[in-house]
Amino acid sequence: MASADGGAYSYSLTVFSPSGKLVQIEHALAAVNQGTTSLGIKASNGVVIATEKKSPSILVDASMVEKVAEICPNIGIVYSGMGPDFRVIVSRARKSAQAYLKVYGEYPPTRVLTQEIATVMQEATQRGGVRPFGLSLLVAGWDAHRGPMLYQVDPSGSFWAWKASAIGKNMINAKTFLEKRYNDDISLEDAIHTALLTLKEGFEGQMTEKTIEIGVVNVPTAAELEEAKSSPESGRPKRTFRKLTEEEVRDYLAL
Amino acid sequence: MDGKTAPQMRHFNPYSDNGGTILAIAGQDFAVIAGDTRQTVGYEIQTRYAPKVFRLNDKAVLAVNGFAADGNMFVKKVKQKLEMYRHAHAKDMPLRAIARLIQTMLYAQRFFPYYVYNILGGIEEDGSGAVYSFDPVGSYERESCRAAGAAQSLVQPFLDNQIYFKNQQPIPGGPPHPVHLPLSRVIALVTDSFTSATERHIEVGDELEMFIVLSRSHPQQSLDPRLNATEVSTTASGEKVFVIRRPLKRD
Amino acid sequence: MSIMQYNGGSVIAMKGKECVAIASDLRLGNQALTISCNHEKIFPVSDRVYYGLAGLATDVDTMRQRLRYRVNMYTIKEEREIEPETFARLTSSALYEHRFGPMFVEPVIAGLSKTPSGGVEPFIAAADLIGCLNFAKDFVVAGTASDKLYGVAEGLWEPDLEADDLFETISQTLLNAVDRDAYSGWGAIVHVITKDKVITRKLRGRMD
Repeated sequence: MASADGGAYSYSLTVFSPSGKLVQIEHALAAVNQGTTSLGIKASNGVVIATEKKSPSILVDASMVEKVAEICPNIGIVYSGMGPDFRVIVSRARKSAQAYLKVYGEYPPTRVLTQEIATVMQEATQRGGVRPFGLSLLVAGWDAHRGPMLYQVDPSGSFWAWKASAIGKNMINAKTFLEKRYNDDISLEDAIHTALLTLKEGFEGQMTEKTIEIGVVNVPTAAELEEAKSSPESGRPKRTFRKLTEEEVRDYLAL
Repeated sequence: MDGKTAPQMRHFNPYSDNGGTILAIAGQDFAVIAGDTRQTVGYEIQTRYAPKVFRLNDKAVLAVNGFAADGNMFVKKVKQKLEMYRHAHAKDMPLRAIARLIQTMLYAQRFFPYYVYNILGGIEEDGSGAVYSFDPVGSYERESCRAAGAAQSLVQPFLDNQIYFKNQQPIPGGPPHPVHLPLSRVIALVTDSFTSATERHIEVGDELEMFIVLSRSHPQQSLDPRLNATEVSTTASGEKVFVIRRPLKRD
Repeated sequence: MSIMQYNGGSVIAMKGKECVAIASDLRLGNQALTISCNHEKIFPVSDRVYYGLAGLATDVDTMRQRLRYRVNMYTIKEEREIEPETFARLTSSALYEHRFGPMFVEPVIAGLSKTPSGGVEPFIAAADLIGCLNFAKDFVVAGTASDKLYGVAEGLWEPDLEADDLFETISQTLLNAVDRDAYSGWGAIVHVITKDKVITRKLRGRMD
């Protein structure tokens, strides 16, 4: 029906097929699997997330392309899939973290923020007039309750916690590689190296500080936490997530 | 307009509140009468030293709190009456007579009262320590402790607890609560009361002025030199009056 | 007559050494008329967090239900018990939502928070009716006897009191303050929160 408000088509674009599938979501997953590979590894004293950054042309200033984003001082995310959709997710996630801070006086735990993002992504599978997000996310964060955590969120809105995971084009190979390399008491430094080695598998072109992005979560020491507590009003919470600079990435690649 | 203007009422308020707090405690054979010296109007401090506690004679000290102008005038008039009494009778007016005089003087102004709360402390003719407290129109009673002024509500329940031992049970089989406290304990309580009031009330602070009147029957006729007290009594044979000044927080 | 004085009642909380105490009177009034002398104003949030609400009784009731709703949602969503400081922030934001038509309540919060090293740390806070928080290091008060409570507490409280001394201090402070307040009194209830138990006692006081 071609009415002004869109008629019957305005209900939802994501409709069950007779076999019980939501093909729009499967198409979104296909978009993810065309995206560049991203991965995350949880270590004993932190988390690392890393991604491959591919430029369509050498004329693009790659340093301005951001695939790893900080959401709040204790949480960062990386994606595989559609860049523009990622910007929307980043801005929604940041707003959600600030709203939580406003109510509770602290930044959200990783799980709560992951759930919020997952809710946003799920809504896009059910609401009228929208399409599902064409990306999967890896969420890395630290909080006092659960410690360092790594989550994956898919276009359907499902999410899981991982010890190590990969998403994107080279996901299958990367996961196999990680399964072989991973152990429970790996240190953050070792995890960063493992992340780079995993990305190297099936990397197209040269791996440089311009084509790699890394974010790390550092578990704060008891002393650092006590210090932060002594000035709770004026002091901003200590940053536990940060992106590595190009110089730092170059140093890791050189090793 | 028809050239006539509507009547306008002008208003003059003859009273203001100058803050501060006073306090008096009677012992067996002494009395302590204290007040802070800050004088305020609203949030302004007019002066950090405006005495509210006055020696009337060697056995009577009067503390006045409320509207400072009324207070000063009232003390002046009480002193005049006491002077007249001395000329007529060749002796100082006894404490209980001063209390009754103050009632009469306050009630005389029943329909334009002195806006002051008075606390009179000193030694009775029988040598006992006494405190009389008054409302602005002369209603009065003798008690053994009283706070008045801005921080009355902060100090009085503390005194109930520490002087009258309210809500405290004596240890079963042990000694009962004392009826009168020793001078050292009273001085400590007065000091604590004022530091507490200074901490939580903006109209209280700057300096604490504490008068101590010792009965002739008090075992010591002088104070511990560590208290750094100044004697202000006029005769060697009568009651002894001392002043102790302590700094309070000025913020 | 302020709406905050309509039903009467007072609450106080104090810090001790690895313990906190929170206490209130039990009176419920209708202006000068006493309606009930078993009206509790302190509620548990968890084994480690209690809060009291002084002010208009109907708003105390509503606020209690709102906070229970929000704490239950928090507990389910986060799969953990709320920390006292987080609860204070939550209370503050719940009150500020009604900035221009406030709930006539003043909350007092007491609890033990967990330290990074695994110990406990006493926590107290109070807020005004629109949620302005006051994190004191000694004691906090609210209600119709607040000025009296300030005066007595300032004279009796000292740092690092053990649980039984803290109980005595908060009880004496409350009892003597409410005895000078016509709108508070008629018995009291005291909770002392320690790291392994909460001690709750009802006090008789003077019933007039």
